[in-house]
Parts: sequence; structure tokens; C-alpha cells
Amino acid sequence: MSEGGGSDFQEELVKDFLLESAEGLESFERDMLAVENGENSPDLLNQVFRVVHTIKGTAGCLGFNRIESIAHSGESVLSLVRDGELPASKEVADAMLRLSDALKAMLDLIESCGSDAEAGDFAELRELLEAVRDPDFAATPVEPDSVSAAEPEPRSEAEPAAEADGRWGLFGDEEPAAESKEETDTQAPADERWGLFDSEPEPEKPVPPSATESSAANDAPEPAGRSGPVAANSTIRVDIDLLDRLMNMVGELVLSRNQLLQVSQKRDISQSEVSLVSQRLNQVTSELQQNVMKTRMQPIGTVWGKYPRIVRDLAGELGKKVSLQTFGADTELDRTIIEAIKDPLTHIIRNAVDHGIETPDTRLAVGKSEEAQLFMRAFHEGGQVNIEIIDDGAGIDGDRIRRKAIEKGLISEKDSELLSEREMVSLIFLPGFSTAEKLSSISGRGVGMDVVKTNIEKIGGSVSIDSVRGEGTTLRIKIPLTLAIVPVLVAKSAGQRFAIPQVNLVELVRLEGEQMESLLEKVYDSPVFRLRGNLLPLVFLSKALKLSAPVAKQASSISIVVLRAERQLFGLVVEEVCDTEEIVVKPLGHLLKGLPTYAGATIMGDGSVAIILDSLGIAQLAGVLNASKPESFATEEESEEAGNYGMRNSLILFSLPGWGRLAVSLDDAERLEEFEADKIIRSGRQESVLYRGGIMKLVRLADHLRVASEESSQEQVIVYKIGERFVGLVVGEIHDIIEESVSLEPAGEQDGILGSAVIQGEVTDLVDVPRILKAARIDIPQNVA
Amino acid sequence: MKTILTVDDASTMRKMVSFTLKSAGHQVLEAADGAEAFATAQTRPIDLVIADINMPRMNGIELTRNLRGLPAYRSVPIVLLTTESDPAKKNEGRAAGATGWITKPFSQDQLLAVVAKVL
Amino acid sequence: MDTQTQFCSFQLADLCFGFDVQRVQEVIRSPLLAPVPLAPPAISGLLNLRGQILTAIDLRRQLCLPEEEDSSEGRMLMIVCCEEGQVAFLVDSVGDVIDVDESSFESPPENLPASVRPFLRGVHKLDSSLLHVLDIEATASALNHEISL
Repeated sequence: MSEGGGSDFQEELVKDFLLESAEGLESFERDMLAVENGENSPDLLNQVFRVVHTIKGTAGCLGFNRIESIAHSGESVLSLVRDGELPASKEVADAMLRLSDALKAMLDLIESCGSDAEAGDFAELRELLEAVRDPDFAATPVEPDSVSAAEPEPRSEAEPAAEADGRWGLFGDEEPAAESKEETDTQAPADERWGLFDSEPEPEKPVPPSATESSAANDAPEPAGRSGPVAANSTIRVDIDLLDRLMNMVGELVLSRNQLLQVSQKRDISQSEVSLVSQRLNQVTSELQQNVMKTRMQPIGTVWGKYPRIVRDLAGELGKKVSLQTFGADTELDRTIIEAIKDPLTHIIRNAVDHGIETPDTRLAVGKSEEAQLFMRAFHEGGQVNIEIIDDGAGIDGDRIRRKAIEKGLISEKDSELLSEREMVSLIFLPGFSTAEKLSSISGRGVGMDVVKTNIEKIGGSVSIDSVRGEGTTLRIKIPLTLAIVPVLVAKSAGQRFAIPQVNLVELVRLEGEQMESLLEKVYDSPVFRLRGNLLPLVFLSKALKLSAPVAKQASSISIVVLRAERQLFGLVVEEVCDTEEIVVKPLGHLLKGLPTYAGATIMGDGSVAIILDSLGIAQLAGVLNASKPESFATEEESEEAGNYGMRNSLILFSLPGWGRLAVSLDDAERLEEFEADKIIRSGRQESVLYRGGIMKLVRLADHLRVASEESSQEQVIVYKIGERFVGLVVGEIHDIIEESVSLEPAGEQDGILGSAVIQGEVTDLVDVPRILKAARIDIPQNVA
Repeated sequence: MKTILTVDDASTMRKMVSFTLKSAGHQVLEAADGAEAFATAQTRPIDLVIADINMPRMNGIELTRNLRGLPAYRSVPIVLLTTESDPAKKNEGRAAGATGWITKPFSQDQLLAVVAKVL
Repeated sequence: MDTQTQFCSFQLADLCFGFDVQRVQEVIRSPLLAPVPLAPPAISGLLNLRGQILTAIDLRRQLCLPEEEDSSEGRMLMIVCCEEGQVAFLVDSVGDVIDVDESSFESPPENLPASVRPFLRGVHKLDSSLLHVLDIEATASALNHEISL
């Protein structure tokens, strides 16, 4: 299909082909590894097959004959696997991954010089692909003739001949095929290029007028007029629904502009008209902004896709056994950031497998399992994306690092004596440091951890490392979500507004008048608050940030913002909680990057600037975290516990009148709130309250569990977020929040109860919240992306 | 001008076919798999369907079979795109009621010649 | 002609300073700045410049000049482009663009306080006064930690 169409179109097709193929190969590797590990659903096998099949077909039509040919060899192997005639052995997987590499190399070549003609013939790979097709057990001969005939790339000469044979055909129009099957076979031999399923033989062969020209394209490197690489990664795929939404919003924007023009031409402009139009404009632009940003966000999984392959190959090469598990692959990051962290992450992974993880023998000798565990997880915290790479390998020998650094002249002997173990380990980030005793081909490639660090710092991120000798290493990367929009709580202290990301927010407690005196207690000199029986350490924001409070009157109330940092709770005391808002996180400039208490800044609705607090930074500054329990070990312990004793759950314990012990999961709940009875609006049987700038429907749990509902002057409500809306579940009395591993016993017939468990020594019923909400006709909308 | 529905999960292929047919003056509709094509086919009259065989969700052969089940598509030509590695598919396509096949890769002229033949 | 440079001049205390005109993006009247608690004293706050958040450096403090008595009124911000991005400098007032010849340039004297030395490239001898030439990169990237309040 090279003639006609114009070079622009050809160029566009090639670009599409490169993008499509690159995406295909990425999932291909992932799926191939799954196949190797024993997954063999027909869908998966077909998917794997289809990737190579599609590349082959498209490459052929674009005149990339070398790709077509090698893909063909791979396709033959995959069709055997798909049809269950060839087991997906390690050898097959190896060959397929090498095929993927070869195809990628050829695609790169096309990207850089427009043709695959310069690509080698991959003879070795070809042989390998041939060989794996025919292991001892390949009993079924699968048309070896037709396959091998097409094998040595006969296209350039074969094509003129193919025209004579015909590359297409017609079948018999409405004829039931069964009895004429053989007939057709003779009519349309396997090497015909087309056919019509006609009852009468098709005598006329299609001899297109310019068909000879088309074959000429096979000899010449094809798209000549192209300048520079087409860079498949300079494009991005956007969900069509999102694009439609953007289009609609731009339409709205135009509409608003027209209204504004109309209003502005009037002689007397009324205030209300202007505010109406500006309100609308405001709404449209902010929606537009959010959605445009969404187009740039991509799940980190797009980068992670290639790591299983890297780990597998590397472990194989080094004779190690490693199982890689990833969590939070759907954590979204701006595209530019994803691009920037790709290489550093690869390096870290390689490092972990190469240096961190021991050989199976060593592991067995020290009482570890033969197979090492490598975890990657990503999650949002405090306006930042956290990425952790955790291995259970040998850990880093701080003293060795220290000696090495001295040897290399990176640090003086005297200085090094003052270093803590952790600081010694961090020496590997110094430029010019490489831990490999002997330069290995794997990570000793001239890029050390210093380059990783620099690259991550370039995008405003930070790297830190925690290592316990003999137990493993945790590498932690924090990257600011510079372009993200996050929901925050706006709070005031000493007259200044601050934004607190809601991801860290657990609940709010407001103290008024006398309560401020009576409920704030001190342990020695440290302020604490009794939160459902537990002491919550308090941090006064104005003191922590040394804010000079205006010498005005004593505040009549304060709010305790309960925050979570490194899985521990603390209370941040502010004078006033204003509102919740969705804000755009902007980075603080280079001059302020060293301040750990802030996660960025944002522009508020009135144009003023507010600083975003980093709950972890504040907690550390105020020293409220329990340092003896660093998070990395906590998570390891927890995951171990989860494995051994079942899941640990955070539960809210409460009671209804006449029903002693009930519980719901804390994780699903958005917030705990209290509403005064006179704030509840009734319309018919539906009760609602005003909440966060909207109307929140209330559901009385008692009604649904068919126990007597008792109204009290203060209703305790567990707030759930469904889609973009909130729903409040009115419960009797909240007693406690606990963390406990529970084993659930199935419940009886009671609708709305998941089951019961023994919690704190007493039988407690767990409420099936989704079911209750459903019964209350709270429609759960489709999850909006 | 005829209305032609081109069905392929490979967007590059789809574009290529679509471009060729458009430049020959036809109106072209695209679908990324059989299921989508089947849905599109029921919303408007179509004069010719050109479908890849190997597709997710609903493959070309199932599509052919399903379309033939609709009274309006009993005699609408359906051409399948195939590759030489699966000749058996050709017969399956025939059994399902396809009108003809084209082997990938093919040139624009070949495609147009086949289209001219069946329309 | 080659040796001519244009400087955007401004006042700090009773001294005359200049930034290379090419690096000055714009000059605005200082809006209300959002203070940054715990930041070094030379940082006077954050401002919103058409949706971008910039850090403002108080040049008097950065250059160890005495605090202005009435600091609330009419100070100006010069938005300057540097390697790390844009930075806003808080100055007393902004003067004309001055053409100077390279021949009038002289390095700073030896007795210049060490705390100011990294920021000052030298002076141009004008007819009636001296034009202090600042090193933009240094002034915008490193904060003067010598000062305390």
C-alpha cells in the first residue's frame, strides 16, 4: 500500500503503526510472562497471538518486510501454543521475549530512519523460533509446508507471481459451505492471495493496473520524504469519552464568552447579569482545566509493565529466584513525570536484583526462602506520589559503603566516624560511587545511584534509602504531584490560610468555650487530647510554624484536625476550619524546596496564594512520631501478619438502641460527623443535611436493620463518598475505632449484616454497608474516571 | 458512492483500508472489533463489510455468521482479511457465509479491485 | 556598539542597582505577598503571577541593607528570568533603562563585606553615581544566610 495516498498519510500510518506496535509489545511481554507462569485462558493466548499477528499484517501492508517476516515466524509458534499443541515452556517464553526485543529494535530503526531494510536478518532468532516449534513433544504436524514456505521472506519475488495466482477471492454467495468445502479448497489453493467463495471457479484473476508498481516499493526504503524520528512517545492516547467531555466544555466556554460579549455591549450592565455570566465562566473554565489535566495523567502501571520482564531476565542471568509484585499500578502521574522516572526506576530494580538479593543458596543458608520477594508500590500521600521498591535481600552493609567512600576519597576517615548507619548507607548517592565489588555487566554501567538521585531531583522529587543488614532494603521515592488536583481542607491559623490535603485527614474535632480548657490536657509539657479513649498528641500549627499571631482576642473555638502520617495519628490544632476545596498543586520554587513542612502551594479562588501543608513534615518537625517504629518495618510486619493471621481491619464500633455491638470498616468510610437534630432537613421520608456545600442524604441504619429508631439531639453519622456525592449513615452511638484482625462467621438470615466476629472478646455484627445503601435506594453511579 | 464498513482491531490497518476506500469515493465507517461492527451494522444500511478475521470480542467469522442472521444482511457482501498462516480460517469464513477473502498484505489496487468486484 | 549594555536600574536604600535588561521580564507593583513560615528571612513571600506561583526575595535583606522604615508602601517587584525559572525581587523603586559602556566597569573593591561579595559583580561608573551590577544567577539561587532578624 505504498503507492498513492501522499507521503503525509503514509507518514501518519507509520506513526500509528509504531505506536500501536509499541503498545502491543508492552502488553505482549506481560501476558507472555503470565502464560509462562501457567495462565492459559484462551483469551490470554489469543491476545498474545493477536499482537504478533497484527504487527505482521500491518507491517506487510506498509512494506516493512523484515518485520513481517520475523513476526510471521513468531506467529507460527504462537498459533501452536494457542491451539494447545505446544506447551508454553520457558524456552518458548524466552524465544518470544527475544522476538519482542527484535521487533522493538526494528521499530526503533523505522522510527529513526524510516525503513527496516537495514535491520539484520536475525538468523539466530529465526533458528530459535524454528527450533522451539519442534520440541520432542510436538507430535502434531501443523502444516509445516505452508508455514516454512512463507518463511524465508519470498515477498519481493513472490509478489508478481502472487498476482497471477490472485491474492483474494470470492466464495459462493449464499451457499451452505459444508458440501462444497473440498471444491473450494481446490479452487483456492493455499497460496492464493485472495478468493471469492463462488460456486463457479473464478477465472478472472485480479490484475490491477498498477500492481507492478506496488512491488517496487518492497525494494526501496520506503517513506523518503520523512524528516526526523516520529517519536512514538510524543503522542498520548486519550479516552474518547474524556475528549468528548472536553469538546462539550469548550462549547460551553464559547457560549459563556458570547453571553459575556452580549452583556458587555449593553448600556447599563446590572450586577446580577455580570455575576451570573462570570459564575458560569468560572465553572466552565475550572472544569475544563481539570479535564485537560486529566488527559496528561497516566497510571504508573504503564511504566511498570516492563519490570517483570527485566526482573525475570536478570534473575535468570544471575541464577537468582525473584518474585516481583506490584501494588498501586493505577496510581496516576503526569506523563512527563512518568517519562522521567522510567530510567531511574529501571536502574533501582536492576540494582536490587543484582546487589540486594542473594543467590538461592545463600538465602537458604541464612534461613530465608529460596525465592526473594521484590515489591514495588505506588500511592498518593500528601500531594505527593510515593514509590517504594522493597526487597528482602541482604540489605546494605553500611560499613562497607563507608570504607568504599573513604577509599574513593569521597569522604574523610574522620568525618565518616560520625555517621549513623543510615547516613553511611546514603553515601551510595554520592557522585562517583558504585557498590559493585567487581564491575558487573548488569548495573555497573556507569550510571550509579547518584544519577538516579539527580534525575529524580530534577523533577522535584527526592530519594531515600532504608536498609537493615540481612533483612532487606527499602528505597523510597517521593515525587510532587505538580499538576494534580487534590481535595484539601482549608484551615486558618494566625490569620493565614493553609491547605491540608484530605488524603491525610482522618477527622475533625471542634472545641468551643470551656471545652478548650477542660479537654486539652498535658502529659508533662506535651499537649494531648483524648480521642475515644486514646491520647492523641497535638501540634499547634501557629507554634510549629512560629506564626506571629495577631495580638487580637482569644479565639472562641479551636479545631483539631486529626491527621495520619506514617500510619500514626496526631492532631493539628488550628483556629478555624474554613472549607474544603479542590485545588491545583503548584510546586514551591527552588528556593523553598528544602522546607519539609510544605507540599507545595496553590492559588485560591480569590487569587491569593495558600501554602499546602505536608502532614508528615509537620509531624516530624513537631516530633510527634514514634521514631522507634519506622514505617518500612511496620509494613513488612504487617504484611507478614496479614499473611499469617488474616487481614487486619480498622473498624468503627458502634451501637444502636437495642443492638449492642455493631461494626463497619473504617477504610470505606469517608469521615465521622455529628449533626444536631435541628440541622436535619426532612422532605417526605427522606432526611438530609447540608454538608460540604451540597445536600447529603441521610440513611438511618436502624430503619434498615428493623430495630426501633430513636432520634437524639446529636446524630452520629458515618459519611460515605459515592462517586462525587456524600451519603450519611446515621448510627446510634460510636464507641471506638480499633484495629484488629477479624475472622468473619457467616450471619444468619438478617439482611444487611455481613456476618459476625469476636472483637475485643465480644460478638460483634459487621454491617454490610453497600447493601444498606442499595436498600435505601442510594444509586451507586458508574465510577467516573 | 457506497457505504463500506471496515472492521479491524489494528487501527493502522483500519485507517489504511479506510483511506483507500475514501479516496475511491466511498463512504467508510470503522469499527474496532466484531461486536462494534455488529452494532454499527444495525443502525444503518451498509453496502459492503470488510473485516479482519482475528479480533477480540467478536472475530470476523462470528461477525459474518451474526450478520447473515440479520435479514438485511443476507446478501450484503462480506470480505474477510486473512493471512497465509491460517488457511483453515478461509474455509471457516466461507462456511459462515462470507463473500470473499483478501490475504494480507495487499496493495491498495488489489483492495479496490476486490471491492469493485463484489459491489 | 558591541560594548554597550542596557541595564534596568532600581533603588535599594540609597544605592543604585542594575539588572541586565534582557533578563527582566516585567516590573509590577508588589501585591500582598503570602508569607512562608519558617523560610529564610530573605524570602518575603509568594505571589500569584497570572496563575504561576513565584517566590519573592527581599533584596534589601539579601544584600544586608538596612530595613526600610516604612516598608508597607509602594515597593516594586522585578520579575527576572534565571536558570531555575522566574524569581521576583522586591526593590524600593524602579528607575530608567541605562546604557552603559563596558569601559566604565570596575570590579568590587577588596573591602566589600564577604556576605555581599557573591552577589555583586562590580559597578559601572556613571556620571553622577555608581551602578551596582548584580549576578542574577547567584542572587536568585542562593539565599544569604548571614542575615538574621
